[in-house]
Amino acid sequence: MSTNSVNYGTIFKNGIFGENPVFRLALSLCPAVAVTSGVKNGFLMGVAVLFVMTMVNGTVSLLRNFINPKVRIPSYMFIIATWVTVTDQVMAATQRSVYKEMGLYIVLIVAFAIVLSRAEMFASKNKLLPSLVDGFAMGLGFLLALVVLGIFREFLGKGSLWGNQILPGKPVLIMIMPAGGFFAMGLVMGWLNWIDRKFFGGTGASSGGH
Amino acid sequence: MKDLLKITVSLVAIFVAAGLIMGLTYKFTSPIKFQAEKKEKEEALKEMAPTATDPIKPSGKWSVHGKNFEYYEATASSKPVAFIASTAGKGYSSFIQMLVSLSPDLKISDVKVLSMNETPGLGDQVLEKSFLDQFKGKSLSQIVLIKGETKENIQAISGATISSRGVTNGIKDAVQTLVDKYGAGIKTASQEVTHEH
Repeated sequence: MSTNSVNYGTIFKNGIFGENPVFRLALSLCPAVAVTSGVKNGFLMGVAVLFVMTMVNGTVSLLRNFINPKVRIPSYMFIIATWVTVTDQVMAATQRSVYKEMGLYIVLIVAFAIVLSRAEMFASKNKLLPSLVDGFAMGLGFLLALVVLGIFREFLGKGSLWGNQILPGKPVLIMIMPAGGFFAMGLVMGWLNWIDRKFFGGTGASSGGH
Repeated sequence: MKDLLKITVSLVAIFVAAGLIMGLTYKFTSPIKFQAEKKEKEEALKEMAPTATDPIKPSGKWSVHGKNFEYYEATASSKPVAFIASTAGKGYSSFIQMLVSLSPDLKISDVKVLSMNETPGLGDQVLEKSFLDQFKGKSLSQIVLIKGETKENIQAISGATISSRGVTNGIKDAVQTLVDKYGAGIKTASQEVTHEH
């Protein structure tokens, strides 16, 4: 993507569909499995990632001429760690009820492959605004993926959505266990690939990550 | 050599700046966080003893599983209305942190789970009202976990026996402590307690 003619619409579509972090790039699957036993947890985690990714991409973009390419990875890691720590501390102080639900997960964002990968792939080569938009779009793609997985797993596993009981009992309990997370991920990923092939003539996800 | 210097300067600058930002954030947020946590603790205690009118202050410390906990005497116009203890029980995948309150006749009046990290869908059923409400009105000798129907004791949740046991043991330890402390003169049946395995 060249720096002088940036199409923000493309960046957005890319983040949410074309290179969706979970379903397409298959990055950050561990946290995606860990937090999506309920829609609410998935949503909150998605919001935190969205914020951190936008800020990290912005910072990396601003500092892209200052960061020495030979030590760029430790530099990115430190920028990510700083933003995660700031988010964690500010939330712990001001958003107590949300923090109680998410506190455990926020610090994990430091190790998210998707954050580092966007800093390396996009923000280090692009100007501030496109980088911010890319971080936001990728974060949004991650958020949506977590919500879809959360809906799928919570509805089947607990018979509820956002904590509200809809079905009596627990239809498929395994869906909220870690193994069920992979089932759900595989099924949704396959379903999205099918839609992509059938209606958009795409080739589906081709690469795997961790 | 020149390259080495450049790399060092660039890295050090980023690390120092990041350190400063994190330090400043901590300086401004930690007092607010501390106050909020203190207030939450007070509110949780207040919920455990709704009839108390005086501020609830810790009256001593006790420990279980190598962790320290506090107990409290809640009073209304200087007369005790509830005895509260913080406690924890070892569940399947976490320590289940709880608060227990006893009425002056040393029967459980309320149980509250503060935090736990049990298996979603299985162990986290110990949070359900139907399980926790079983403890209400029970005395020390009745706090025994039973696999199967029971009205007299505590019925374990099927599929979450270990988490149920964690809660039950944590509560029993706390009640034992409170009874030892405040139950002078009241004959307790603690010797008769049989352990369920």
